[in-house]
Amino acid sequence: MFGYVRPFKGEMLVKEYDAYKGVYCQLCRALGKYYGFPMRLTLSYDCTLYAMLALNQRDADVKAEKKRCCCNPMKKCTYVCPANEDVFAEEAFHKAAALSIIMTVHKLRDTAADEDGLKAFGARVLRLFARRAMKKASNDYPFMADAVQKMMDDQADAEHAKEISIDRCSAPTAEMLQTICAELGSNAGEKAVLSEVGYFLGRWIYIMDAADDLTDDLLQQKFNPFIQKLGLESSRGLHLLPEERKRADEECNAVLNGSLARLLPAVNLLPSGKFTRILENIFEKGLPEMQREILFLHIKKEKRHD
Amino acid sequence: MTDPYKVLGVSPSATDEEIKDAYRKLAKKYHPDQYGDSPLSELAGEKMKEINEAYDTIVSQRKNRGANNNSYGYNNYNTYNAGYNAGYAGGSSASGFNDVRRFIMAGRIADAEQILNGVPVESRNAEWYFLKGTVLYRRGWLEEAKEHFTRACQMDPGNPEYQAALNQAMNQRSGVYGGYNPNMNMNNAGGCNACDICNGLICADCCCECMGGDLIPCC
Repeated sequence: MFGYVRPFKGEMLVKEYDAYKGVYCQLCRALGKYYGFPMRLTLSYDCTLYAMLALNQRDADVKAEKKRCCCNPMKKCTYVCPANEDVFAEEAFHKAAALSIIMTVHKLRDTAADEDGLKAFGARVLRLFARRAMKKASNDYPFMADAVQKMMDDQADAEHAKEISIDRCSAPTAEMLQTICAELGSNAGEKAVLSEVGYFLGRWIYIMDAADDLTDDLLQQKFNPFIQKLGLESSRGLHLLPEERKRADEECNAVLNGSLARLLPAVNLLPSGKFTRILENIFEKGLPEMQREILFLHIKKEKRHD
Repeated sequence: MTDPYKVLGVSPSATDEEIKDAYRKLAKKYHPDQYGDSPLSELAGEKMKEINEAYDTIVSQRKNRGANNNSYGYNNYNTYNAGYNAGYAGGSSASGFNDVRRFIMAGRIADAEQILNGVPVESRNAEWYFLKGTVLYRRGWLEEAKEHFTRACQMDPGNPEYQAALNQAMNQRSGVYGGYNPNMNMNNAGGCNACDICNGLICADCCCECMGGDLIPCC
């Protein structure tokens, strides 16, 4: 479920890209600081977006700092650090780091349950490894752990229902992000906007993930919410014909566009701050570009834009 | 009062043209069309009001200064706000679901849904499907909302209210409000297709014939 939310570099100013990278690098540092060096491996673009939403919401005070990268000592990175001991900025990175740990451990649990053989074993070992950090993150922000736990429970229910509905399957992820984003708001109006952003971002991510996995899931006879919707039950275990694939891709794209049509107006209502332009780039250009790359160009994971 | 120039994101030394541009851009961003049934429509409306006021203030300030005698004929978007939320209240007088419509208007989606779910399956009419679709749309269950709107339109094909809801759902899916539209992007990239070329030639031929010449002798 990770890695779909990225900026579209081609449409960014260089300084915006630098700021984005700076937040990414600072989040890596925060992961090391709060949860231990190995936890830096959980770093993702998704949690970078969350950190930026949090920074932007309170117009946190930040400054650029050039320092050596701890993972690659040959490289110097620019970090976007909290300035003047700004509590909101510190907290934004702390929260994003906690979210990164909680979501990664959740994903490992998912992999351990769904896959078999070496992959499941690997997931179990890694989970054991991250146990202490997970406990700490859950203690730091119990609302995050609760939201993710609720998502896992609801997800299982939705996927085992008799009628498989895209809306119902995507709701747990959407509601999880809704809760986590809404928490960033300081009044009812802000919370309403962040709720809407969180819900439709979560919905978009879940559906994008499902659409991306559709062909593999069909081949390996796994669960995918689009199989019933598109009437592909008879194709389980088979490769899709080109025209079937095209129809499936177009339908998935339409569902994703529907979510964006609700997400983008909400993004317009976010407060304007240092990161607004970058956030707008991610939502308005990065997400549609991901749809194009996955559904129409069929680009494999490693080669997508960044 | 907040600085109207700040609201529009322009400097006080900006030209009238720049201010108009900034205003148009913002007005498009917060236009009520995008927010339709979204729970954020009220917030967007407030934002729109703020922008309108800022623009009006700047225009009247500049007029008073007498620096510029241009007419500011650009009508603002205030008018949209008024009519927008009236939709559910008065809709149809023969409605059997006035209470549901009232709940939806007030944003009490759970209450509206509870009443709708209590209606037995055999007495669910076109309006029931439309209202249920509206409730689902509010909650973000967009696919099921679209299916309910489709059903409502099938049961009562002439109803403009149901048709409008379905059209909006279809437009959102096709990428009109953002997202990716494979067909549109292809046209943009191509610039000019075979049809455009023929049209161009026919136009050129007509022009030549007007002037007494002929570009394509056979037509």
